[in-house]
Parts: sequence; C-alpha cells; structure tokens
Amino acid sequence: MTTETAIRVDGFTKRYGKRLAADGLTLEVKRGEIYGLVGADGAGKSSLMKAIAGVLSFDGGTVEVFGTRIDSARAAEQVKQRIGFLPQGLGLNLYPDLSIDENIDFFGRLRLVPADVLAERKRVLLGMTRLDAFRNRPMRQLSGGMKQKLGLVCTLIHEPDLVILDEPTTGVDPVSRRDFWAILGRLLEEKGVTALVSTAYLDEADRFHRVSLFHEGKVMGEGTPAELVAVVPGTLALFRAEPQADALPRLKARFPQTEAMGTWLRVFAEGLDATAARAEIDACLDQPAHPVGRTSVRHSLSDAPTCRTEVRPTEAPPIRLTDWFAREPELEDVFVAMLRQRGAKLESVFPEDGLTPHTSSAPAIEARELTRVFGDFRAADAVSFRVPQGEIFGLLGANGAGKTTVIKMLTGILKPSSGFGMVAGADMRTAGWAIKERIGYMSQAFSLYHDLSVVENIRLYAGIYGLDDKAARVRTDWVIGMAGLAGFENDAAGRLPMGLRQRLALGCALVHQPQVLFLDEPTSGVDPIGRRVFWDILFHLSRREGVAILVTTHYMGEAEHCDHLALMFAGKVVADASPEQMKQAVTAEAGQLLELRVDRPAPAQAALVAAGFASAVLHGRAVHLLSKTADADLARLPGVLDAAGVQLQSVQPRPLSMEDVFVHQVSALEAAQRGTP
Amino acid sequence: MKGFFSIAGLRRLRVMTWKELLQLLRDTALMVFFLYSFTGDIYVAASGVSMQLRNAALAVLDNDRSFASRELAGRFQPPYFKHAGEAASPDASLKLLDRGDAMAVLDIPPRFEERLTRGEQVPVQLQVDTTNSVLGFLASSYAAQIVGRYAGEVAMLREGLAGSGGPMIEAETRIWYNPNQYDPWFMGISELLTVVTLFSILLPAAAMVREKERGTIEQLMVTPLTPFQILFPKVIAMTLAIVAGTAIALFGVLGPVFDLPMRGSLPAFFLITALYVFTTAGLGLLAATVSRNLAQVGMLTIVILMPMLLLSGAWTPLEAMPPWMRLAAGFSPLHYYLDSAYGILLKGAGMDLLWDSVLAMGALGVTIFGVGMAWFNRQFG
Amino acid sequence: MNLKRIVALAWKEWREIVRDRLFFALAFIVPTMLMLIFGFGLTLDVENLPFAVVDHDRTPASRDYAYRFISSRYFDFKGYADDERTIDRLLADNQVRVALVIPPRFDERLSRGEPAPVQVIIDGTFPMRAQTTQGYVAAINAAVSAENMAQALSTARGVPLAEARARVQPVKLEVRYLYNQSIKSIWSMAPKLIMLIMMLSPPFLTALGVVREKESGSIFNIYSSTVSPGEFLLGKLAPYVLISAANWFILWMLCLSVYQVPFKGDPLFFTLASLIYVVCTTGFGLVISMLVQTQVAAMIITSVVTIIPAVLYSGLLLPLSSLSPGASLIAHSLPPMYYGRIVTDCFLKGAGAAELWPDALVLAGYAVGLFAIGYLLFSKRPKS
Repeated sequence: MTTETAIRVDGFTKRYGKRLAADGLTLEVKRGEIYGLVGADGAGKSSLMKAIAGVLSFDGGTVEVFGTRIDSARAAEQVKQRIGFLPQGLGLNLYPDLSIDENIDFFGRLRLVPADVLAERKRVLLGMTRLDAFRNRPMRQLSGGMKQKLGLVCTLIHEPDLVILDEPTTGVDPVSRRDFWAILGRLLEEKGVTALVSTAYLDEADRFHRVSLFHEGKVMGEGTPAELVAVVPGTLALFRAEPQADALPRLKARFPQTEAMGTWLRVFAEGLDATAARAEIDACLDQPAHPVGRTSVRHSLSDAPTCRTEVRPTEAPPIRLTDWFAREPELEDVFVAMLRQRGAKLESVFPEDGLTPHTSSAPAIEARELTRVFGDFRAADAVSFRVPQGEIFGLLGANGAGKTTVIKMLTGILKPSSGFGMVAGADMRTAGWAIKERIGYMSQAFSLYHDLSVVENIRLYAGIYGLDDKAARVRTDWVIGMAGLAGFENDAAGRLPMGLRQRLALGCALVHQPQVLFLDEPTSGVDPIGRRVFWDILFHLSRREGVAILVTTHYMGEAEHCDHLALMFAGKVVADASPEQMKQAVTAEAGQLLELRVDRPAPAQAALVAAGFASAVLHGRAVHLLSKTADADLARLPGVLDAAGVQLQSVQPRPLSMEDVFVHQVSALEAAQRGTP
Repeated sequence: MKGFFSIAGLRRLRVMTWKELLQLLRDTALMVFFLYSFTGDIYVAASGVSMQLRNAALAVLDNDRSFASRELAGRFQPPYFKHAGEAASPDASLKLLDRGDAMAVLDIPPRFEERLTRGEQVPVQLQVDTTNSVLGFLASSYAAQIVGRYAGEVAMLREGLAGSGGPMIEAETRIWYNPNQYDPWFMGISELLTVVTLFSILLPAAAMVREKERGTIEQLMVTPLTPFQILFPKVIAMTLAIVAGTAIALFGVLGPVFDLPMRGSLPAFFLITALYVFTTAGLGLLAATVSRNLAQVGMLTIVILMPMLLLSGAWTPLEAMPPWMRLAAGFSPLHYYLDSAYGILLKGAGMDLLWDSVLAMGALGVTIFGVGMAWFNRQFG
Repeated sequence: MNLKRIVALAWKEWREIVRDRLFFALAFIVPTMLMLIFGFGLTLDVENLPFAVVDHDRTPASRDYAYRFISSRYFDFKGYADDERTIDRLLADNQVRVALVIPPRFDERLSRGEPAPVQVIIDGTFPMRAQTTQGYVAAINAAVSAENMAQALSTARGVPLAEARARVQPVKLEVRYLYNQSIKSIWSMAPKLIMLIMMLSPPFLTALGVVREKESGSIFNIYSSTVSPGEFLLGKLAPYVLISAANWFILWMLCLSVYQVPFKGDPLFFTLASLIYVVCTTGFGLVISMLVQTQVAAMIITSVVTIIPAVLYSGLLLPLSSLSPGASLIAHSLPPMYYGRIVTDCFLKGAGAAELWPDALVLAGYAVGLFAIGYLLFSKRPKS
C-alpha cells in the first residue's frame, strides 16, 4: 500500500434484494486526482460511492480508503473525518427551511470546525461561489445552480482530503454546470484534494484526470479521457447533405451512429480516419470521388456493410454534400459504439399503427403573453411562441428560467396570471376536460406508479383517457413494441432500468395518440443509447404522425434535434428561432468559433479571459472562443498563451454547437443582469 | 362532475379504483398491519378488556372480629370485589389506600354484633378511593347494595318479618340486547369501529400524500380526469378494503369466537359501513389536501381522530357530556355509525329506525367530500 | 460524546421546526386543544339517561314512585309511554336507555303490605352504562322499599317512624370518599389526559422528524460524518423532548387553572417522573422511525401503535382491575399505565417518590430500553 493511493476498490459487488447493482467493480484512485465515474442512473455509481464514503454496506469485494479497509462501521468511522460526501439529488441533503448561512454553519459545527475558522472558510467559499449576496435566503428558494454550489460548500467546509460528489451536475443547466466545474477545479487544485465525482453527462468526462465508464453495474472502460476515446478509433464527421431525408437512410445503413441535427448530419465513422471517412461517406451519398479519397485506410471490420454493395434506384436525385468538418470523436460516440458492440440496439422499432397523421394549419401550441406571478416574482413574463403541428419545439433555459412554469400553464396545471395558451386549437383557460384528451405530458419525474407493472401502468392511462378495452389492448401492444418493453410486461415499473422507465412513461403519455406532447426534461439521467432511441421515437412521432412536441432539456446535444428553439431567461423568451438561425445570430454577433488545443486547458482559459477573450470557455480538453476578427486573433493567441506558460498545440475553426450558443447567450444575459441589478 | 355518467367516465373511475387497490395490496407491510388490526387487535380488545368494575380490591378493618362482622365482610365477593386482606389499624388502612393496594376499606366498628342484636342501628364505614371518580362511585354503589341486602336480612330475622314480604318494590331488571352483560360484544364492536375509523382517515390521506410527493398528481392533472375522478376512486378503493376488513373481523373473529349475535340485516350493515368509510375518508383527503407536508398531515389527523374516537360515544356514554359537546358530536360521522352498528348488530334495528342516522351521515359525507374537492381545485386549478 | 456536535444537531433541528410555522404551531396547539376538548367532553359519568315510564296502574302511588326516578339527576325523563311495544321501539332507536314498567295493581299490592313487582328494562349495548344504571335503579328501589317497610312497621307496631326506619335498616353504610371528596370526574380525568396526550404527540413529532431525514436523503450528512449514533440521537431528539416537556408543563398548568384539580404531591418528583415519561414516549417514536422507511408508514404505524394502547390499556377509560390476564400483561408492558398511576397519585393522593418510585423506575427502564433499541437499530452504514 503506497501513500499515493487514495481509494482502491477490488471486485466490489452490491445487491438490493435480487437486483445486482454493482457487479465486481475494480478501480484505483490516486491522491490529488479528480476521478470520474461516468454512466447513466442505475449503473452502479451511487452504490460504489456510498460504500467508499462508508455509508453503505456491500456484499462482496474490498474497498480501501487511505489505506483503511472499509469492512465495518468502525473502520468506516476512522476515515470519515477525511471525507466529504455529497449524495445524489440536487439539494436533497440540504435543509430547505434553513438559510445558506445556517446550512453551512450546521455542516461546519457537525465537523467541529472552530468558529473563527468556520467564519473565514465560509467567507472564502461563499465569495468563490458568488453566494455571499444570498446568505440569509432559505435554501428552498435557491435556483438549481445555487443549490448545487451550496451543496459543494457544505461538503468542503471541513476541508476533507477526499470529496465524493454523486452526480452534482444532474438537472443543472449548462452554464451553471460550467460554473460548478470551474469552481470545483479551482478549489481542488488549491487544496490538493482528491475527488471522486460521478456524472451522467458524458461530455463532462473531460473534466476528470481519469474516468471509469459505468454501464449496468459493470466498468466498461477505464483511463484518461484521451485513452478512452482512443478505445474505439474513428472520425466524427459533421456536414450538410441535401436533401437530408435521402441522405439519412443511406448513411444509417453504413454508419449506425448517424444523427440528423437540424440541417447538419453527424456521423461517427468507426475505424476510419478523416480521409477514409470522407471517402466512405461520399461513396454512400453517391458523390463524385473526393480528391484524396484514394489513400483511405479502412480499420473497420471486414464484414461491415459498405454502401457500394447497396442497390439504389438509379433515378434517385443527387445528394449534395457541403460544409465538411472532420474531428476526433467525443466520448459519447465512443461509449455508444462500445455498447453497440455489446449488442445494444440504437434504433427504435416503431410499430405502424395505421393512423392518419394529425394535420392542421392552425398552430398546435400557441402561447400569448403568458405570465405567471408568484408574490413579487415573475416566473413567466409575457411568454409568446407558437408551435405548428408536426414540429419539435425546444424550450431552453437555465434552472429557474421559467420553462416548467410555461409547460404547467400550457397543460392546464397552473392558471396564468395573465395572457393565455392555445393548445390544439382550444384556449386552456376555458377548455373543458375534453381538451386534455388531445394532450400528452411527461414530466421529469417520469410519473409512473412504481408499484404497478408495466402493463398495469399502460392500462391505467389507457383507461384514464377513456379507451375501450379493445383499443386499450391494441395500444398496450403498440406501447410495448415502441418502447422495447417486450419481456418486461409484468415487471414493476420501479424496477426497470432508467431508459426503459423513461420510454414507458413516454408510452403512457402517448397511449391515447395525443396531438400535442409536452416533455419536461424527459431524458435526465438516461444513458446515451436510451436518449438516442428516445429521440428517434420523437422524430418518428413528429414526422409520421404529425404530433407537435414541446420539450425542455439540459442536454444541448438534444437541442440540436429540435426544429425550433426558444431560449428563456428570467421568465422571458429572449430568443426564438431555429437552431441554425440561433447559431448564425451568434456568429454574426460574436464571430467564428475557434477551438484551441492546449496542454493545460484551465490556465489557458483563465489567461485568455484576462487578455480580453471574454468568450473563452473550457470545452472538454479544448478551449473554445468566439472570434470576430479571426486573422488578427490567430496572430495574437500564441503570445497570450505563451505568457501564461501554456503551449498551444492547434487552432481550428469549428461549427458552433448549441451548447456554445446557449453558454454564450446565457452568460451574456447573466453579465448584463449583474451589471444592472 | 361532467362526464361522470358517460362510459368513459365510468371507465376512468374503474381503472383509477383498480389502481388504488393494487397499490394498497402491493404494500406488504401495510397489509400485514391492516390484517392484524382487523383480527388480532380486535380479538385482544374483545377478550381482554372490560369497562365494568371488576375485582375492586377491598381491605377490611374488622374491629369486632365477631361472627356477624365476618359474615358482612364475607359478602364482598367477586366479580365486583376481591379481598385485599385485613388492615390492622386505621393508619394501616389509609396506607393501603395511599399505595393503591386497596381501592376501598370496610371499617366495621367494635361491638358490631352486640349492638346489632340489641336492635341498634349500627354504622359501618366504607372508605373509597375516588381518584377515579367513576370507579369510586361504582364501588360505593355496590357496597351499598351488599350492605343493604345484609341489613334487610338481619331486619327480617329480627323483626320476624321473614316470609310475609312487606310493601317492598320487587324490581325485575331486564337488560336487553346483551342480557348477560357480555363485554366482548361491546368491546369488540367498539374496537372494530375504532380500527375502521383509523384506517378510513389514514389510508386515503396516505395515498393522497404519496401522489403529491411522487409528482404523479401533476401527471393526473394533465389527463382528462376531473378532480372528482381523481379523488373519488381513492375513496372507493379504501372503502372496499375497509369493508373487506370489517367482514373479516365480523366473520373471522367476532362471530365465531365471541358469538356476536348480528341480529339485523348484514347487507344493511355493510352498506352503512361503506357510507361511513366514504364520509370519514373525505376527512382524511381533506387533511392531506390542505397540508404542505406529512408532518402536518400527521398532526391534523390526530386533531381529527382523537376527538372523533373519544367523543362520539364509542367509549363513553354521551348523555353526560355538556350540551354543546353533544351538539358537536352531531358533526361526527362516527356518532351515527355507532348508533347504526349497534342498532343492526345487537338490536336488530332496520332501516325504519336507522334512516335518520344514515341520512345525517350521508349529508356529512357529501359535504366533507365537496369541501375537499373545492380545496383540491383551488390548489391545482 | 461531543457536546458541540450534539448542540449543532439540536440547533439545526430546532431551526427547522420553527421555520415550518404550521407544524410548529400545531405541535403546541394540538396538545392544548385536546386537553380542552377532552377535559370538557370526555367523561365516563352516567347521567341524564333518557328514560320513559309505562304506568299501567295510573294511581297516585305509582306516580309518586315514578317521580323518584323523574326527579333524579341521573335520569332524563322523556315521557310516559303507552305500552311495552312503544318501549321496544324507543330503545331500539336509542331514544331511551331505560324504561320503567309499573304493572296494574301496584298501589293495591303495596297498600296491602305485599311486595309490588315492577319491571326495569335497560339498554344493554354498553355494559358499563347498563351496570351503572342498574346501580342507580337498585338504590332508588332500596330507598323506596325501606321507606315503605318503615312506614308499615311504624303503623303495625306503633313505633315512631324514625325508630322504625332504624329497625328496618339495622346496618347503615357510611361512605367516605377519599382524595376526591366531591367525586368530581374532571379531577380524575384531567390528570390522566396528561398521560394520554403525552403518549400521542411526542412519538408523532419524533417519528416524522427522523423519517423525514431518511426520506429526503439528508440522513447521509449524518452517515458520512463522524457524528456517533449516540450524539445523533441526543441532538436530533433534544428539540422534540423540549417541545414535549413544554407541552407537558402547559397541560399541568391547565389542569391546575382551568380544571382546578388540586395538586397535593411533590412537584419535584412529578416533574422528574414526567420528564422520564416524555423521554420514554419520544423513544417510542424513535424506535418506529428506525423500523420504517417512509413518513406515510411512520404516520400510520405511530397512530395505531400509540392511540390504541393509550386508550385501552392505560386505565384512562377501562378499570385496570377488570383486565383479563392477557390484557393486563399488555397494560403492564406499556408505559402509559405506570405514568397514569404517577400522575393521578401525585395530583390527588399527594404521593411522592416514597410511594411511586417503582413506577418511575419502570418508566426509566423503558426510556433506557427504547433508546438502546433505537441506538442498536441505527446504522450509519445500512444495507440500502
């Protein structure tokens, strides 16, 4: 046992009744390391973290923390003073009726921090987290991002040697998440603290020194983020192809990991380098051969289908490929590829139901000046937008921006203070209960009855929506087929894995074939495959059945799939456009996106901000910044970074992602708000 | 209310009721507890406790130690009294009372027999512990009867009146409905009604709180279900469960073990039970609807439950309560249920006698449920 | 044991309780309210019994006789009925509880010096009430008979009526009521209400308080810190014990002021014993909270587990001496009975530690036992 090891886990196994939550997990965390556990809900991350924190007994294997073997309550006690543990659930371990100050004081006193030291630490931490202005505000009135930061402060107040943070960023918007990581990184670095952090967002893996990828109780891979990405070599291609509808099936036949994101196509070409990927894609799309395509090297399995063998009707229109970008894949692409190798299916089986799609020229959803006031707080302030039939409409915004309030008003749960919402042609203020038969709703909490089985849940909602027995049977079969629940019919909903549970909730919301579907953060905590299948279903629903879908999400990757977006800030809609238009607007306003590869991203970002590149943000291991005057900036950048002792490896232009747009917009708005309180 | 009588409306009620029942049945721990309450708990209450005075401990301070004094003391017999020994002195007898070792002390004066034979009227003293006023009173009343009977016999002998009788009142007391004053019938029914009341308030309140906490209530609000269709199935389901529990208690415990007569119409009894559960369940739903969290629900249910249980006449005679309290008891559904339950089970009363209780209970039920629904609407509408 | 940690825990808990205004108010209002409602309403007295008379004789003598009942405060005369059939119906409909039937030739028999039979019909659904009623009826009849006999004796033997009275009643029972001379039922009920209410509210407060932390997940703050289980239990429960102790004091004062119950015992001993009882009932809540996972379950189990024993096996309503051996065992194995004795004897008998130390000791044993169980059940490293 060297002093270099903070945590050593070997063959960790945990059961809850019959369910195996963790199956022989093994990992080792070195001192001073930020170690990430990445995976969906129910993958076994929480059980392992609790066991390491000494708050959960387990069934097999060994866990050692700072050289102490955690095999009894007594042993666990010995290391607890050196550990800070933040359990899962945004702010759930805090005391909602107590103020920020009182919460921190409690944690500090519980850990016997002397009063003067406590006051000093509190001052520093509250300053760093910018919570000092709200010291006397009860915790229940804080936004998600603030709760998360308060949780962190409370966990760090006794200056532990090891912090264990269980999904600290779940349910938090991208801007707050970035803020959180920045603060965490700075704190850990200053104090030399070891951290074990879990996340359901794969794009956060780059924040860690090393990562374990979790899936269904097993570790799928371990290493630095770069090592993990290298496990499945390949190229990520971003381009446009016209007409997209023709290009998509062709590409999917060759590259299962193909996604449409607005007008862009995103293809993970497994086993191919950039040039080979271009050649293969060109071939798929029947493009004239690319000039450098000849030198392509194929790494892919020999039995992989190629486009060349596919028979296509000769009269198919030509497909035009433009705006080509090739880059190294993201961890999520690699993770999906790994799961696919293990037999996971990416596509939903969408049973035909022989229905004529909903068509209507009137907007399916229309919000007009929707306003809701709670006391002197305007949760929604004159919100207006319209969603035509058959469109996927994304409502984005930070926690507390008012998204949920708008959905509640549109679904009739909440009465607007003024303004009104029209849904499926009816005014929600005056519409009777009948209008609700045309609405489907699925909340963040996947409001299923956990003690009822899959079929019982579906049948319940079928009955609630007044379907007769025959129709209920037909739709039950449809939902089971659509959600891939065959074989799980009689399992209790509470025992399903997260992804299935989510699709069951969607099925329940769709059982009556609604014309309009409201989804409030439908994918939080679901694994990437589950999310992809889910979006595949949404796509089918909107295109084939003409369902209008209003969705909120914190995954900006998902926002790309939407036809149209509205960005909310402080109760107001501040932007309302297609993803493409939003990106164009940001480009016009702030310039081109540059991706900087550097050896040390964090100091690089700090130096860039200090040098006037206010838009510089960490993006994985790279730094992104927006540049209006690309040429001039390119000349300036090496100097700035050099001065900070950072080595610039490469600078490349990139297409803007929705995440960049979101962060840019919301940061600007927040800065403006702080400027004029 | 619209759509209540439509086919879809009825189907909604059916599936929601079925859902509630399934959820209840799947809660194993709760079901075990539920079954115990309707069987074991009622058995213990019916077999073990009595509200009548039994075995009051009586000590004797016999200053005469004659045949007559022993004869008198010997008449203090079970079931009402049991001997708690002799006290040697007035001090000792007081000590027995102070310690609670005796509830009463019979103090027979010196020369008791002698004075009796001389034809004097002899006073005998009884000291009674009246820390429990009712028991104290009962003990003294029994003692008076025993002494009275003894005195009568002595007088008859002495005055030579024996045989001829005299102008006395010969009361024939007939106790109806429970001639042998068999406690288990009363205790068993009272306990059953108490258990029914507890669960009628707690189960729907719990079901409602669970929906609120899980967030499923919002999901339901988005469906075409009316507040009535959300709340009423909970009441139906809990009613079915509790009526089933009542049947188990009646046919599994009270009937076979204690030979409860069940003189009236059993269908009527179960219908009235259902009506009662509906009414009381409304109270539980109301408490759950107005509360913000479970701690509040808990406190509110105590406030509703305790007065209802103790002031409706299940355990105490209502007649002695102050008039305003009796008026208040008129708002307790349990008050009417008690009348009906005893009426049907023990008295064999029919609807011709019970209609007013049933009507009052129904009116209360509809009012409570209506208020609950209005509140629910205000909260979520 | 580290006092600072205990204080930190207790202070946090206290702030949380105080912030939930409605709950905080209810925590104090509920006990006081119950005390007032039960104090005025809960009585085991049998009075104002609705009764009817069927007088087949219809003579001045029969009316005089009936008047003895009508004028008694125990009976509430509802009127004369025509026949027994009507009585049937009145009894079945709960309109009357007692009926007196005077047969024909009542006056005639008495004047001839013969015993006159009468019939008393009592509603027997509630045995305790029926039994008491029987006592009242017997007392009235005994008095009437004695009076008649004395008059008969006086006329027959020519002795003065006073002497005749003494002769027909050679033994006279003089009853001395101890501790509660005027047999005020509120004097015996009010102190026991303290016992009842303090059995109900502390377990509720405690069980919900602890389970709430389990359900929300904030219990992990405790699990993951170096707080020992003992410190946690002490700190967590201290505010609840404090609130309950304050409530106990309020109830005590209510007994003295509103109900004017005399307090003859040793206040110091009473306070001590009461605190032990409060800790004990708090311990009940603690044990329940350790066994259940959700607040709903805690609420249901707490109410059933506390209400039924507190009502049935505490001596509140049912005489302890009348319990069957099995029920007596249950009563002896639960704390309310012991505290019931302490509170009554302290108030009315003026008892103190000398007489009541065994009961106090049992309660203390309970408190220790319950907390020991709570301590053992509390695991900072549970299975799930």
